[in-house]
Amino acid sequence: MIRKPIAKGYKDEDYPPIPTRTNRFMRKFWPYQIIRFFVLNLKIMRIIVGGHS
Amino acid sequence: MAKVVVLGAGISGHTAVMVLRKKLGKKHEVIMVSPNSNYQWIPSNIWVGIGQMKPKQVIFPLAPVYKRKGVNFKQAIAKTIFPEGDTAITNPFVEIEYVEEGKKGQKEKVEYDYLINATGPKLNFAATEGLGPDGHTVSVCTYGHAAHAWEKLQESLDKMAKGDKQRFVIGTGHPMATCQGAAFEYALNVAFEINKRKLMHLAEITWITNEYELGDFGMGGAFIKKGGYVTSTKIFTESIMAEYGIKWIKRAGVKKVEEGVIHYETLDGEESTIEFDFSMLIPGFAGVGINAKNKNGDDISAELFAPNGFLKVDADYTPKDFDNWSIKDWPSTYQSPKYENIFACGIAFAPPHSISKPFKSKKGTPIFPTPPRTGMPSGVMGKVVALNVAESVKSGKTSVKHKASMGKMGAACIVSSGYGLRDGMAATMTVYPVVPDFEKYPEWGRDLGYTVGEPGLAGHWMKLFMHYMFIYKAKALPGWSLIPE
Ligand SMILES: Cc1cc2nc3c(=O)[nH]c(=O)nc-3n(C[C@H](O)[C@H](O)[C@H](O)COP(=O)(O)OP(=O)(O)OC[C@H]3O[C@@H](n4cnc5c(N)ncnc54)[C@H](O)[C@@H]3O)c2cc1C
Repeated sequence: MIRKPIAKGYKDEDYPPIPTRTNRFMRKFWPYQIIRFFVLNLKIMRIIVGGHS
Repeated sequence: MAKVVVLGAGISGHTAVMVLRKKLGKKHEVIMVSPNSNYQWIPSNIWVGIGQMKPKQVIFPLAPVYKRKGVNFKQAIAKTIFPEGDTAITNPFVEIEYVEEGKKGQKEKVEYDYLINATGPKLNFAATEGLGPDGHTVSVCTYGHAAHAWEKLQESLDKMAKGDKQRFVIGTGHPMATCQGAAFEYALNVAFEINKRKLMHLAEITWITNEYELGDFGMGGAFIKKGGYVTSTKIFTESIMAEYGIKWIKRAGVKKVEEGVIHYETLDGEESTIEFDFSMLIPGFAGVGINAKNKNGDDISAELFAPNGFLKVDADYTPKDFDNWSIKDWPSTYQSPKYENIFACGIAFAPPHSISKPFKSKKGTPIFPTPPRTGMPSGVMGKVVALNVAESVKSGKTSVKHKASMGKMGAACIVSSGYGLRDGMAATMTVYPVVPDFEKYPEWGRDLGYTVGEPGLAGHWMKLFMHYMFIYKAKALPGWSLIPE
């Protein structure tokens, strides 16, 4: 998204995985993100409820 | 009639006081002692620090809420706990000093049957020379600090708009600081704002951290399922940093800040410096400095509090090697082992040890994050302590049947950048449990079904949604108790 052009490597910041165009599209694709919104909320609810007795 | 006193109207203490008020009849008195007249939803300070929210959007006055709910609010600082009373008063009490206009400086002895200490951290800027808003760096730990950070950030953005290069350094400002998540979130937001203005070519952004690897977050990192692999949060975090154009320095303990220069030592014992035009560094945390005295007025603070100033609770504080640490060391009721009617929740309780592996530099400086006690666990602890106290009051006998250990609790950290429904982006991280349990999950220490790292708009919506939902809950508006911590 904001990445500066780098090609030569040999610095820490040149080695991590960088998302592909499809990956970046899915991160902003509303129908998919709405599903993820509910899935993530459910996971969080589950860990709150399961965390105390 | 019983008197329950809660110290500190933060996430943990405010939750405790509201649960107590709900569970206890009006014949029992619930008292809140806290110095700030406002409640602040701290996670949204990040948005204040980049100018997307005004301080008034993240705060609201506490007095009307407490009046409506029947909580006796004293705008004051707790100074000394007398768990056995003194020669004049036989009941336990806490000595407080008012900060409220008109009563400023006045002292009062507030008696209690049960005391809950939820005073959070002292932001220990003094532990690092030159750190903090009174020194050379900014902070986002309070809404006031965050508003000041935005002023300073604007100055840098203005300079860049005129074509000047600017160096940004964001991260941890003490070799043992925690709260990496907040600093990480701020770094991404600063990068996002710079990019939005198309000024990235003039910016050099560096993340400086005491973590052994990025993505440690004071929890020893975590493992998540990603692209057909189980990968470490190191990969996840580095990937986000690289994507945002942020460089990093890891295993670094910041020791001193001068005008435009940060001095740090790395684990290999090397002393280095990095220059900056704008820097936001999280300070070390300590207890807020409440003392304790016995009946005769002798100081018993060391019996009640750990050396870092946090209150000792039902944890196993026996020093042990990293390999022998277990989730069983972690407290579950937050009750003081010395006085059964004193509890501590949220950041105010003393953890038995760090979660991340402790490292020392070649020169002997400890450089590693201390354990985070984030919002969600702090809220859950506040609730559990309040439920135990309410039941004890009703039965007339102290009982602690409600439990919540960080070895069984999860946490969610949503690192979100940008603002608005379409513009933002977040990295949602959940871990379950917070303290890895290698007995139950021998391979990864955590449940991989509930330990997640996921970038996307969904997390950003959650962060926005949480802002409004938790402020609604904190205002105790209809249905507030149905909203989870
Ligand atoms: C910028 C930032 C962003 C964050 N984002 C997230 C996030 O996204 N998710 C998350 O889970 N966590 C987040 N956190 C962490 C979260 O804010 C803390 O975990 C949480 O506030 C801890 O709650 P607490 O009640 O223990 O302490 P606090 O919220 O700090 O409350 C302590 C209260 O005690 C009062 N007090 C202090 N001294 C005294 C005294 N002597 N007597 C009486 N009262 C006193 C204080 O005024 C305050 O009201 C963030 C933290 C920061 C700084």
